[in-house]
Amino acid sequence: MTYDMLQRSSGIVSGESDLWCTYAAVRTLAWLGRTGDLPSPETVAAFLASRQNPDGGFAWSSGMSSDAWATYYCTQALADLPAGSRGPVRAPSSDWVRSTAHADGGFAMTPGQTSDVWATYYAVRTLVEIYGERPPEELFGWLAALQAEDGGLAWSPAHAKDGTSDARACYYAVTAWSTATGGLGPLPWDRERLTNWLRDRQSASGGFTFQAGDGTDCLWATFRAVSALSRLGEAPRDPEGCIAWIRSRLRPGGSFTRWPGYPVADVWAAFCGVGALRELGAALDDIADAVVATVLSFRTGQGGFTYRTPELASDVLTTSAHLVAGRLPDAAAHDALRWTESCMMPNEDGIMYMPGRGSEVRCTLWALSAGAFGDDAPARSRIADWLTGSIQNPDGGFGYWEGRASDMVSTCSAAEILHRTGGNRPADALRGIAEYVATCETAPGRYANVPGGRPTLRATLQALRALRRAGGADGARVDEALARHRVRGGGYANESNRVPDLLSTYEAVLTADAFGIEWDAGHLSRFLDSVRTADAGFAWTPLMPTSGGPLADCLGRRLELRLSPERHPLPPLALS
Amino acid sequence: MRTTDRTEISARVLALLEKRFGDAARALPADAELSSALPGFDSLAALEYVNAVEGEFGIEVDFVGDDVRYWFSTLDRTAEYVRECVEDRAA
Repeated sequence: MTYDMLQRSSGIVSGESDLWCTYAAVRTLAWLGRTGDLPSPETVAAFLASRQNPDGGFAWSSGMSSDAWATYYCTQALADLPAGSRGPVRAPSSDWVRSTAHADGGFAMTPGQTSDVWATYYAVRTLVEIYGERPPEELFGWLAALQAEDGGLAWSPAHAKDGTSDARACYYAVTAWSTATGGLGPLPWDRERLTNWLRDRQSASGGFTFQAGDGTDCLWATFRAVSALSRLGEAPRDPEGCIAWIRSRLRPGGSFTRWPGYPVADVWAAFCGVGALRELGAALDDIADAVVATVLSFRTGQGGFTYRTPELASDVLTTSAHLVAGRLPDAAAHDALRWTESCMMPNEDGIMYMPGRGSEVRCTLWALSAGAFGDDAPARSRIADWLTGSIQNPDGGFGYWEGRASDMVSTCSAAEILHRTGGNRPADALRGIAEYVATCETAPGRYANVPGGRPTLRATLQALRALRRAGGADGARVDEALARHRVRGGGYANESNRVPDLLSTYEAVLTADAFGIEWDAGHLSRFLDSVRTADAGFAWTPLMPTSGGPLADCLGRRLELRLSPERHPLPPLALS
Repeated sequence: MRTTDRTEISARVLALLEKRFGDAARALPADAELSSALPGFDSLAALEYVNAVEGEFGIEVDFVGDDVRYWFSTLDRTAEYVRECVEDRAA
């Protein structure tokens, strides 16, 4: 694979700050003792504070539900900012974090979801490091159950039984233990087997991979592996080789890149490079100025950061949205599609949200719907294998990316991808999807996004579409759900039948079409009129006066095309 | 709710905004755009605002037919919308 497309970035740029990137930027500056270099830290604080929900938790983006990941990133980044620039403290988040705790001792990303080690790590760090609280004692039993047969640690106790170990899972688990005990409590794993497994991930070149069998060393894996070893009081087999490999990721006069051959210095490479050298006790003084200058160049107009210079920071969802809406002329569409196809991590055959980030199920569906790999059967086959061979969870469902607990958005997206990628869809993968969907049924024909969640229209429609792909679903249930959430004046509401929104209405029409159910064109048309904006875009709800951005514009445009005499079919998109 | 007096309606709507936005709402000009005048007045806050007005005056808003983004964009417009709803109900 070549990365020319990434170098000149012919995807579409949203220009918006990203929470992941903002956390990585602030943390990198804090590690270098350089947050004082931020020209306007109060604007960073305002961006982070805008992610807080009334329940006390923080969300990935405005309007989304709180999750443990976003809550840790926001609270930690706010704490890293210079005193006096953090703004007034709003509601503390620790009660919300505790609401994600499971009786099994682990934590979930959102209340009701299954525990996983990503969420557990974020929850423990937030509780202990931000709020000075103690996690429940049950945590240590849950962590102990993460050790797999090969000695490494897995995403969850259920993953450990299947033997899936990963350097990230090791880091998250070891850090959760270290944070909760100050590194002094009894180690809940066999130290020698764990240390050996981690050390075995280092290749002859000095870098690390995430898992046994991976072919390309990467800085993310290297950072996580050396950090886990450091918290265990251990070191890589070849620390000097590791330092040399990390430093070989530096661009001339600038910051880090993620893996050999990848040409772009980005914010998470800076975060991983500085973090790994710091864990190894290596000098940072000679590179600090260049790293700081590079990271500061990633600031956006919203006050936060994106992953590279904003004018080149394309992302897959925005690019796919433009393609699906037909907003690009042919030549630009061709370039944008090729760029999207290049957004894959080594060793992970799905498509990322942003280059260098882990492959995500939802983004992969958007990219495929936009036409990615349309004429590349082997690539589609690799994507199907990635889904069923690497990231399907033991409960049969799918999370956003590898190791994240299952949710309905991702599971429905995976079912649609498996249908689209064709080939031999393993029967047990489809059976697993049906089994996961069943765990989210709260009453006959009503489904939540996660087991233990509240039922909503979108989760119900996603469940029924996933079941249809997995072998069969009852169209009468779709009819009932649509009737329950049909807003009298136009459109469909995710909860009750009062406030319609664009995404629920899109999924309502999409699902009705999939099941051959008639719907009222006038009812849809009235709704579209209520969300059409003065700038020729579409708002997410009739409450908002301005466009919801490229994704909302894309969904609105596709609904218009569905209403046209040609009745263009809706792509099977899911978002939240 | 019996009155259709605009001044009283405005005062009650303003009290709802003060409950949610505190000092920022207290000095709110009647014709100010809420989304720019009140920090944090996003789609969720707008929804809470409409729901609070419904509860206060015992009315039901049609989220599609009533052009909520116009009628609930300022204090003045909200008061006028409520007044018309109450008068319609009394007719």
